[in-house]
Amino acid sequence: MGKYFAVGSITNALKGRDILSGKGIHSYIERTPQGMPGGGCGYSIYVPGDFQTAEKVLDSAGLTGGRKEGNRR
Amino acid sequence: MIYLDNAATTYPKPRPVIDAVTRALRVYGANPGRSGYSMSIATSEEVYRCRTAAAGFFNAPGPECVAFTVNCTNAVNYVLKGLLKPGDHAVVSSLEHNAVMRPLDALREKGVTFTKAEVFRGDNDSTVDSFRKAINGRTKLIICTHASNVWGIRLPVERIAALAHEYGIRMAVDCAQSAGVLPIDINGSGIDYLCAAGHKGLYGPMGTGMLIAPDGGSLATVIEGGTGTQSALSSQPVTMPDRMESGTQNVPGIAGLRAGIEFVKARGIKNINRHEMEIIRYMYDEMSKMKYIRLYTRQPQPEYYVPVLSFNVGSIPSETAGRLFAEKGIAVRAGLHCAPEAHRFMGTQENGAVRVAPSVFTGIGEAKQFLFALGRIARDNH
Repeated sequence: MGKYFAVGSITNALKGRDILSGKGIHSYIERTPQGMPGGGCGYSIYVPGDFQTAEKVLDSAGLTGGRKEGNRR
Repeated sequence: MIYLDNAATTYPKPRPVIDAVTRALRVYGANPGRSGYSMSIATSEEVYRCRTAAAGFFNAPGPECVAFTVNCTNAVNYVLKGLLKPGDHAVVSSLEHNAVMRPLDALREKGVTFTKAEVFRGDNDSTVDSFRKAINGRTKLIICTHASNVWGIRLPVERIAALAHEYGIRMAVDCAQSAGVLPIDINGSGIDYLCAAGHKGLYGPMGTGMLIAPDGGSLATVIEGGTGTQSALSSQPVTMPDRMESGTQNVPGIAGLRAGIEFVKARGIKNINRHEMEIIRYMYDEMSKMKYIRLYTRQPQPEYYVPVLSFNVGSIPSETAGRLFAEKGIAVRAGLHCAPEAHRFMGTQENGAVRVAPSVFTGIGEAKQFLFALGRIARDNH
């Protein structure tokens, strides 16, 4: 099980992915799953591994938003 | 053709720019930032690469600060109309392009006022002082050109930005003529809103421009619409860059712009500036020896000028001179250059002037051919 981080725009998603990658955390960019906060549409970063660390990294980068644990679709 | 109209748009474009545009049309064919399938994500990545390149080039805090526009004029409009409300006051310079003056004229009908600060050539202290005197208690924004599109005169924008912040005023800079020719550091300069053309000194395709604004999300919007984010909400997102980027983006243009920025980075701004200033100074020196040629500035020095030079040929109307150059296969720009304020500044508002501007591709041989043609035009018409 991993975690989805809804970050809004594709720009935020790509930025977040690059920051996580720089910290050695692998992630995927996906459309935000329905039911997550964010106002509909937009992108999420899915972290299959150490999502606790990923959360701290994304928080410190200001990439906050809806979060949801689950398996990658 | 000898092309000396690079202040309007650079030509030719570097080969990597042409290749990037072509590749975008072939490979990046899906709408970026709208879907999750591979071509849409790949297209988004290409747009993001340009955002990252631009943020790095101008030392902006991050790629999200870069909003793509269709040109510099649009970026200026976004700032002026997004920030100024009835009762607000702005300060501009005496060298502004219509990209600044016409939106302000339209805003005047809504109760926005503005003051023109005089520019003193070669005297930055007096220029900054002039801006200080133009500020009043309602001043919300200083907006000025980084370099005149007619006379090449540089403004001390870092000092003007420091002045603006001293009074709690925002600072916007029209970098249409300076991006790619002068180093610009958003973090270090205090510029709040940087408006740039993509198709001039950055060598991107026409139809590209940028608004680079760390706090762009606080601007009211001029255009609203689909952004691919928060679609259930009727209000425009407040986050950059989506706030300023409604509708489908110009992906081929943006791909070309990225290649253009990388081209400039590889060549080096200092080298480009040195090369173009050498051409301009050579032209100036030769023209200053010629009969009938009217020059309006001192010999352009890099600390006070960008490589743009305007002149007149005796009493020949500038548009006539432009036509005579065209007949000889030389592309120059005549008239008022969409900047009547800059012409008023120099007293050329009636006849305009003829402008030449080299690019990184302009050689000394082309400068010599231009000077030969100029000599013929001057002789044949007096």
